[in-house]
Amino acid sequence: MYTQFFGNYLLSKGLVTSEQMVEAIRYTKTVHLKLGMLAIHAGYMTSGEVEQVHILQTRISKPFGELAVAEGFLTPEQVTELLSAQKPGFLLLGQALIERGYISTNQFESVLSAYQSEFEITDNDFSEDQTHRIDTLIQDFYYSNRSENSAYYLNYITLLFNNLIRFIGEDFTPFKASAISAYPSNYCVSQVIKGSFSAYTAIDMDRDTFITFASRYAGENFSEFDEYVKASVEDFLNLHNGLFAVNMSNDHSIDLTLNPPIHENNCIIAPSAFLSCIPVSFSFGTINFLISNLE
Amino acid sequence: MDFSTIKILITDDSVLARKKLKDYLASLGCQHIYEVSDGQQAIDSYKINKPDLVFLDIIMPVKDGITVVNEILEFDPKARVVMASSVGTQSYLKEALKAGAIDFLQKPLDNELVKKVVLNAIGGQK
Repeated sequence: MYTQFFGNYLLSKGLVTSEQMVEAIRYTKTVHLKLGMLAIHAGYMTSGEVEQVHILQTRISKPFGELAVAEGFLTPEQVTELLSAQKPGFLLLGQALIERGYISTNQFESVLSAYQSEFEITDNDFSEDQTHRIDTLIQDFYYSNRSENSAYYLNYITLLFNNLIRFIGEDFTPFKASAISAYPSNYCVSQVIKGSFSAYTAIDMDRDTFITFASRYAGENFSEFDEYVKASVEDFLNLHNGLFAVNMSNDHSIDLTLNPPIHENNCIIAPSAFLSCIPVSFSFGTINFLISNLE
Repeated sequence: MDFSTIKILITDDSVLARKKLKDYLASLGCQHIYEVSDGQQAIDSYKINKPDLVFLDIIMPVKDGITVVNEILEFDPKARVVMASSVGTQSYLKEALKAGAIDFLQKPLDNELVKKVVLNAIGGQK
């Protein structure tokens, strides 16, 4: 979750615009993570040193690692370690933003350091403390006191992001939610949750994004908008809402039921209460997640 | 273990969920697999095909899974019905078991658990 919120953090600091972020996320598909980014992340090199090696590379045709070792910035052991290390997704996003010219390497280094110290979390640490920090992070972006069900709403959003990571992929950045009264749908699947946390939920995206989303969920390679693609996105929403219902049952003794998911393509969605729209941008496109309290 | 003789009915409104389960059962060697997409079709298919095992979703159009398990067991008290749903809440679990379901599998389905359920059904067949 740490990775996913890095992009959001950059947006909240006003370092990039939403348009630049969406464009950079799409660009990550073609980006190969460079050793310099890994060295900055590991604290082995400063952004200035990385820039220095990049300038050298314009004159000397040698790999980054070799030049960094020759300049005394890295040891051969550090190069080996960096090449075999885990490559967090937010580094890829950072590199895409740098390569598109939206932020400098220096800005990236500063903001990464600020983000790490502000939240003090790593993707590899799933302790209880970590869970609390992620809750805090999500709360910063999505929490509201609109109703007494806000804590459940927070649980719902946290589970949504976890399920997106689990079933679709880690390469996304969630954007800040907005409250709207009506939403013109594109390719949309919705489902109503009934019980003491009654809600209208929906997931909407363009056609190509829908097909790729469905492919990732099903582990297939769909190319046409067919019944399997439709069923796949239905299944994702139904599974997510189902798991939420299970959590509510186990953790709060609240019983919820679900209506079957339905398709609401190309129509105006306007429930009685406001809709909370959460855009989530993947490298293959942006999905809009909608939720409205039906109390 | 011979899976080829067992008759299995899959009931799920999701064509993808049916395909995934059917493909897995076929990979085990199951040769008699029937599939339907709503609760009423499940009851009708059960009466015609008399399967040894039924996988039944809960959230479905026309008739929900709990109603269906009641009706199937009313027709055949020895029916072996396993609920397979994303909504494994305490109340659904209790309702399903009270209605006579022999097991409850939480989606996404774990293939090992599916296999175990089928093996138990084969054991019950003999």
